[in-house]
Amino acid sequence: MKNKRFNLFLIAVVAIVALWSLWPTWHDYTLTKQIESYRSSQDSLRYALSHREEIENARKKSLKLGLDLKGGMHLVMEVDQVDLFEQKAWNKDAKFFSIMTAVREKAAKSDARVIDLLVSEFGNENVRLSRYFYDIRNTDREIIVKLEKESDDALNRAKEIVRNRIDQYGVAEPVITTQGTRKIIIELPGVSDEGRVRNLLKGTAKLEFKLLRDPEALVRTLDRINTYLVKSGTALNDTASVAKATPAAAGASTSGKPLYDLIGVTENGSAYTSERTRDFVSALLRRSDIQAQLPQDTELVLSAKSDHGKAGEKLYSVYLVRKTPELTGGVITEAKATFGSQGVQPEVMMTMNSEGTSKWARITGANIGKRIAIVLDGAVYSAPVVQSKIPGGNSVINGIESLEEAKDLEIVLKAGALPAPVRIIEERTVGPSLGADYIRAGMLSLSWSFIAVSVFMLVYYRKAGIAADIALVLNILIVLSVLAGFSASLSLPGIAGIVLTIGMAVDANVLIYERIREELDAGKGLVSAIELGYDRAFSSILDSHVTTLFAAFLLYTYGIGPIQGFALTLMIGTSASLFTSIVVTKEIFSFLLSRNVMSEKSFG
Amino acid sequence: MRIFHKTNFDFLGFRKIAYGFSVFILLAGMISLVVKGLNYGIDFRGGSEVLIRFEKNVDVSTVRSVIDKAGLSGSLKQYGLDRSFLFSTAFSGETNDLKSRISNAFAADLQGNHGEIVRIDAVGPSIASDLKWSAVKALFAALLAILIYVGFRFEVKFATAGVVAIFHDILTVLGLFSILGGLFDFMPLEMDQSIIAAFLTIAGYSITDTVVVYDRIRERIRGQKPSDYERIFNESMNQTLGRTIITSGTVLLSVFVLFIFAGPAIRGFAFAVFVGILIGTYSSIFVAAPLVYDWLRLSKSPVHLRGSKAS
Repeated sequence: MKNKRFNLFLIAVVAIVALWSLWPTWHDYTLTKQIESYRSSQDSLRYALSHREEIENARKKSLKLGLDLKGGMHLVMEVDQVDLFEQKAWNKDAKFFSIMTAVREKAAKSDARVIDLLVSEFGNENVRLSRYFYDIRNTDREIIVKLEKESDDALNRAKEIVRNRIDQYGVAEPVITTQGTRKIIIELPGVSDEGRVRNLLKGTAKLEFKLLRDPEALVRTLDRINTYLVKSGTALNDTASVAKATPAAAGASTSGKPLYDLIGVTENGSAYTSERTRDFVSALLRRSDIQAQLPQDTELVLSAKSDHGKAGEKLYSVYLVRKTPELTGGVITEAKATFGSQGVQPEVMMTMNSEGTSKWARITGANIGKRIAIVLDGAVYSAPVVQSKIPGGNSVINGIESLEEAKDLEIVLKAGALPAPVRIIEERTVGPSLGADYIRAGMLSLSWSFIAVSVFMLVYYRKAGIAADIALVLNILIVLSVLAGFSASLSLPGIAGIVLTIGMAVDANVLIYERIREELDAGKGLVSAIELGYDRAFSSILDSHVTTLFAAFLLYTYGIGPIQGFALTLMIGTSASLFTSIVVTKEIFSFLLSRNVMSEKSFG
Repeated sequence: MRIFHKTNFDFLGFRKIAYGFSVFILLAGMISLVVKGLNYGIDFRGGSEVLIRFEKNVDVSTVRSVIDKAGLSGSLKQYGLDRSFLFSTAFSGETNDLKSRISNAFAADLQGNHGEIVRIDAVGPSIASDLKWSAVKALFAALLAILIYVGFRFEVKFATAGVVAIFHDILTVLGLFSILGGLFDFMPLEMDQSIIAAFLTIAGYSITDTVVVYDRIRERIRGQKPSDYERIFNESMNQTLGRTIITSGTVLLSVFVLFIFAGPAIRGFAFAVFVGILIGTYSSIFVAAPLVYDWLRLSKSPVHLRGSKAS
């Protein structure tokens, strides 16, 4: 008798907790309906404002919808650790780069730790790590530990910077986590402008101030490269792809001036390339044999934005700059997107810290009349002539097309530079309209599956079916309330998991009822048949539930994203059904028995 | 209402035919796997997929020609939703570029019929190989866990036969996916993460029916002579036939609803689970229990089962 009271108490508690945990979801739904019911948007807004706190509270605690239902982006970004290790190395020679190329190829195909790949590749080539990393006296072991730390730090810093950028951009409830040694997982619900988010995330935001070499040096360098290309003859063989697209370049090998078919030089000594040839030129400039032709400590870089040429063609400038930056973005403390002096051209004002300010004053003071290029992620934004010494630690990036872009620059500059380049390696974006479709499909499946299974139970087991159906309702409530209570989100696969749970949850009741029927057939009385039925069916029920839980748990452990949602609802549903189909239905029967409304016929 | 009440089928008598049938469908599936292979989805293959939905009806060849004209290479096919097409191409992290090229092409060449990009999936090669390995690991870990659990709850012969039955069920579904893959527009039957979820669901569920039969055998076999095993096995299976079929039936009902209503993203999964549960019900009667029987018969020693508590 005492035990029975406890069971009743337990059922009541579970039901109340489930309803209580789902209450904010219901509340949120009714409030949203209320807002939508107003005819004018002003009324809606007024209602929303006056009930703001209530709405926010309800929304915070209500059942979250997954990215696929609400619409949003799921991104996996990879921190380029090969690049990071390259940055850390010194004494870099051809051997080093060939090893790193091999590591890069392997890293692209597998999920292994880059440091392990690096170590094994160095081992294959029989090269000690200390030849390139840290101190020559370090053992490989010590270097591995240091590099591991570097890579962990880089991942965490990258995560924080990504978080900063997203926070500045403003996304509600972003989830940013790291996975393994090189992945950052970003979940952004309800993003309206995914294109902008992608742009915002992918840049390294490495800002550098680099001194421009004079025009004569640029012309000389280009001449040298041209001569080299003519001499080597085969050099521009791989222009084939460009040659097809650009008739001008097709004549490259015959004109004797291969480079000047790609790069034009104006009378005042500035160089440019057209939009068509831009990608090819930038690839050409990255070639190590071309770089060998450049003067010591210089590099050729392209402008980020195009100017319009005479024929209306888009032209990108080519600059020769000192490779070692005068100053880097680390000194920037504040960035602000504004409109420039004429009030039309967007620009970003930057303020530097005290160290940067004094350096900047010295650099500008020493280079009056020269040009300093402002380089962001390897592209020149502007290259103004230094008019006078700048003592206040200010600088401006101009040459920006839109205010939106200026704002994005502001965000990435404020958030700081990433320790290494990042790449998007997985993306799943669902638009809001498809999400709404998914919700509709999910709800239809849920209701039809519930109707089909519960009607079947009623038809097949009559009165006993009612108990099973009540247990089923409670089961669904428990699944939803656990999801809401633990702030897990409901996705389309999650709904599929609930639908599947509906079919599986009644199985325990089927096993029990069949057993009870058997006991009744064997001539047992109603009360003892029910008792025996529950007792003897228990072992099959337990075994089948435990095996399903195993499978769901492993799916949850090894699966990712949407599949985890499925595994989670299946796990909750299966565990809950142990309680609902056994404890709850049994209590219902003992209540019905005490009221004398049960008979041998009640089990169909 | 009662179905399969007091049946008296000689299930074990059919077991040779059942073995033959099982071997035949497994072989057919294996041959198809070797010859035709599987239709890998984007999760395991890597690549980019763009789902485009139009406002008005449009012909697949029209859309294809627009995409070809834009210089995009890849395959385009009708998707299960209305007026929707799925364009698959090689992986690129630069989905912005892909998206704007597609949008621009449609805006220029399909005026008056707005094509909206409603979903983008891009999976890089390292992620794809990662997902593949996780899937294989999860599957084998599940099978191992089930083997140990059932071995612990019953006996090693029962556990082994149960896991063989699971293998049988999953391989049959895998074979079907190979044979039927790409034949239907409304369900491409691609191997992706959701199918792995289906396999694990099948594994967890296939053993359910088997356990119900085992449980009854365990209850009745205690203290019986090996010569009575055939009768006991048959009777046990007949006695549990009703519940075996009804438990599967309720799940089949829900999965069928999923197949019909839950849309193309879930359809492959629903198909896999549906077929898997049908096969799983068959295999618990015609594969798992008969294998145990044959094994016991050949080993000629009475079986000692754990946990048979029925008095």
